[in-house]
Amino acid sequence: MPQILDEIEECVPALRRYARALTHNPDLADDLVQDCLERAIRKRSLWRPSGSVRSWTFRILLNVYRNDLRRRRRALDLPLDALETDPPGFDTQSGRLALAETARAMQSLPMEQREVLLLVAVEEMSYADAAQVLGIPIGTLMSRLGRARATLRRLTEAGAPKLRSVK
Amino acid sequence: MSREERKITEHDLHAYADGLLTGPEREAVEAHFAADPAAAEDVEAWRRQNDALRALYGHVAAEPVPPRLDAHRIERNLHARTVHWSRMAAAAVLLVCLGAAGGWFGREFAGPGPAQATLVSEAMEAHRVYATEVRHPVEVWANERDHLQTWLSKRLDRAITVPDLRPDGLTLVGGRLLPASSSAAAQFMYEDETGRRLTLYVIPAQDGRKTAFRYAKLEKLEAFFWSDEGISCAIVSDLPRDRLKEIATRAYDQLG
Repeated sequence: MPQILDEIEECVPALRRYARALTHNPDLADDLVQDCLERAIRKRSLWRPSGSVRSWTFRILLNVYRNDLRRRRRALDLPLDALETDPPGFDTQSGRLALAETARAMQSLPMEQREVLLLVAVEEMSYADAAQVLGIPIGTLMSRLGRARATLRRLTEAGAPKLRSVK
Repeated sequence: MSREERKITEHDLHAYADGLLTGPEREAVEAHFAADPAAAEDVEAWRRQNDALRALYGHVAAEPVPPRLDAHRIERNLHARTVHWSRMAAAAVLLVCLGAAGGWFGREFAGPGPAQATLVSEAMEAHRVYATEVRHPVEVWANERDHLQTWLSKRLDRAITVPDLRPDGLTLVGGRLLPASSSAAAQFMYEDETGRRLTLYVIPAQDGRKTAFRYAKLEKLEAFFWSDEGISCAIVSDLPRDRLKEIATRAYDQLG
């Protein structure tokens, strides 16, 4: 059994990243990950290697996250404090603006589109893995991904000229 | 090899943008771009989105993982909790929610969590050890009631009133400080005219949540427990359940 514990441990950085991207709130994100890890570890004897430990822990994290959302209806109002410091690697003014814009747009993306897009773009999961994590058919995944990208584009491109002219 | 034009779908375009295509599939999409500049533009925009999202969130995975997310540490903590639970489960404990009873109607009504299971098992354990003690049932006797109250309030970091249960025919014997799984605990002991004992076990609650009044039974011992005003309490005795509930209600009123 210690082997699976190590495998779970290896997923923690990615789980934190996904939770942070979903919530934009570092403390809440780590709370969700902790909850996820407790469940995974408690239920690890039930786990059968039909999929990867990564898909399994991500699935648990999403359940924890959705339950938490249900519990606090106001979750969408969570502050954007994850971005109080600039992520490394983007030093130019325009780069920061574009990122801040994307971050804001992600906040207004419908939940199911956000979940899909982050699994694909940030976690770099295959479509099959992402569909498994979300428990949806690949066709549904693809249409959500398409909608997510279109919405994100609309939101960022609409805001862009105004932001640039303000400086 | 016939250069039959394979139909490029939306799926292919996404897969291309996400770097999931290799070899001939990848080349087929690239060939398609020449004929469909709009598709090329979409794919370019999606790749920029991917870059932006990775730049926004990618660094989180490189941050040091806080100790509370250490899988081995979580496993150890869970194990410690399960031991408590299984000890109780083995003895066929009966946990009943009485959320609708008396003045507790409408309070939060969820099943008892692991913290409460720990509370009640520790309270029962402490009762078993000290209620049968003849010469040293308490550390501080009732004749120093004020000192007892100040001392335990200080140690638990909560203002604790020692309930007066004389209307229920119970006089204070005294109290003691005990170690609990997450903090210190206070135990107050009472006895009736026949020498039957009852203990009130108090720990500081981790959060300010109020819970319903709950009931647990383990072998001959029965307990009512609750959380309120920053403390979690359990009253343990072998008195009949209805009588115990009356006493618990009185204690609850004075502690709140």
